[in-house]
Amino acid sequence: MMNPLPIVLATLLRNRFTAILFVGLIALATALGIAISAQERALRLGSARAADRFDLIVAAPGGHNDVLFSVVYLDPTAVELLSPETTAKVLAGDRAEFAAPIGFGDSHNGAPVVGTTARFVEHLSQGLAEGRTFERMDEAVVGALSSSRLGERVGISHGHAGEGAGDDADFAADQLARGGTPEQGDHLPITVVGRMKPTGTPWDRAIVVPIEYNWFVHALGTGHAPGDDHIGPPFDPEHLPGVPAIVVKPESVAAAYGLRNRYRTADSTAFFPAEVLVELYALMGDVARIMGALTLAAQVLVVAAILAGILALLDLQRQRFAVLRALGAPGIFVFSVVWLYVGALIGSGIAIGLPLGWLAAGIVSALIAGQTGVAMTASIGVAELALAGALMALGLLLAVVPAVLTYRKPVVDALRT
Amino acid sequence: MSRSGASGSAIGMAFSVPGADASSRTLIDIAEIAFQPATLTAIAGPSGSGKSTLLYLLAGLLAPERGMVVWDGRNIAGEGEGARDRWRRDHAGFIFQNFHLLEELSPLDNVLAPAWFANFSARPWRARASALLDRFGVPREAKRTTFLSRGEQQRVAIARALLFDPRIVFADEPTASLDAAAGEGVIGALAEMAGAGKTVIVVTHDPQLLARAARIIRLDHGRLADREQASAA
Repeated sequence: MMNPLPIVLATLLRNRFTAILFVGLIALATALGIAISAQERALRLGSARAADRFDLIVAAPGGHNDVLFSVVYLDPTAVELLSPETTAKVLAGDRAEFAAPIGFGDSHNGAPVVGTTARFVEHLSQGLAEGRTFERMDEAVVGALSSSRLGERVGISHGHAGEGAGDDADFAADQLARGGTPEQGDHLPITVVGRMKPTGTPWDRAIVVPIEYNWFVHALGTGHAPGDDHIGPPFDPEHLPGVPAIVVKPESVAAAYGLRNRYRTADSTAFFPAEVLVELYALMGDVARIMGALTLAAQVLVVAAILAGILALLDLQRQRFAVLRALGAPGIFVFSVVWLYVGALIGSGIAIGLPLGWLAAGIVSALIAGQTGVAMTASIGVAELALAGALMALGLLLAVVPAVLTYRKPVVDALRT
Repeated sequence: MSRSGASGSAIGMAFSVPGADASSRTLIDIAEIAFQPATLTAIAGPSGSGKSTLLYLLAGLLAPERGMVVWDGRNIAGEGEGARDRWRRDHAGFIFQNFHLLEELSPLDNVLAPAWFANFSARPWRARASALLDRFGVPREAKRTTFLSRGEQQRVAIARALLFDPRIVFADEPTASLDAAAGEGVIGALAEMAGAGKTVIVVTHDPQLLARAARIIRLDHGRLADREQASAA
């Protein structure tokens, strides 16, 4: 059995800098494809995981996307409020383990301040990491990544730090101006009493307050009769303001579909986050496919350019291969040397590109997670390994071209040059 | 024990290449020529006379359009390229004007290179390769052949040609790239091979080498010149 490896090594060493350049180019082209693939999956998994505990969302009629982004990803988007009547009906909690109002629109040092119930905090966090849940209107629980410490007193600003901040609060204020009466003042300081476990959602950076606080600071009452200072359900339908959204935990799958149908009316809409995400993923999938096609085109161009370069390089070495033939090397030996040489360049590039792509996806994931709060972990999965495998297979197939061309070159012509 | 040389002959051999117009240009047209073991045969003639082409035909690197190239009764001209490759590996050694070593490899690995054509491991040949380098006075410890002098590089090439103890040694202008002293060393090695019984065929312009040849074949436009000359080797 022949052994072309020493000659392959010698050929690689002969043009080592060019070989390194080729390997680098292949690695970058591979990394690009791997990063896009891994990143897209990380984005899907992260966003889906973040929405896991938001079973059914009831909101005012309108686009589901805005509500989803506001409630789950705490994106400061303007959303309509559910009417007080509908709010009262949903919060009654028929066929549900709980129904938690969600109110937002305020911030503290750029962190969103969200109003809800202690029951929802328990459901989202699955128990607290430290401290206890809020028991008074001026107490708060912070997300796992919040910089606020237990016992810290924080003042809440009206509106989010971002664009469109406070629109819902403004809307609430407008509602109030149309008939409501502010009962108490704004900017009531609150005390942090507990910290949630990591949820992998933007709620990890949030300050979660009783929904009563949210209503109170916007002069919308507390959802309870005057003098009733307990927090959480039951609320008094007579004193309930509207809310941007209500998260409902249905008692069963049947109840989930039943409630979704029940609240899809002229006054409200209801949806499972997953169904919205599926639509978004479909859109994202289309974008990913386009990007994938562009990446593939770029990779094919890189491989073609490299093959052209390799052909030129091998042409410069044609005398070396002719000498091997003159010394008695069979044609298959020369074929193997060139094929393995090209395969080694492509294989090395892919072997470097795979972790490089994973690293790039990891960096992008960390940046997105830092920006959105949605925890996402880029990983190398079957899709990326399949992509790398397909590139390798394509490369080895294309490597046949220079191998055949070199093997078929007339030996004597090369010896005479 | 070194293998003895082979007897060979080229009979009715012709080789041509396409010309500028539709016609072909004859490079070699030889009625008969014979080679004997233990003989250093030089092929001489002006540039373009077909010396190297004749060498390549005799070594099976080219196949003639007609005629035979017979070595010990075997007509390699009638065999396929693969069979001629195997014959060359088993029976012939080749030495070039410009050495054509694998510069990135050590002298030892260069000598061992032909062993990889048919074996995964060159280990069985290491001792012989080392002995050949010692015999030709090449430092084995050099990491790359580029660190050697030109004379040493050609001696590595000669050691490479002798790895499988070939019966025939072909050399194409082996001293043309060397100074007189280094050339003398190579000529001595070629004469030594012939003295050991091998069939040595050398294309050369070198008067010193021609002077050492037992037989000189002169070519003119691809044909044998009027008569062969024998020197007093």
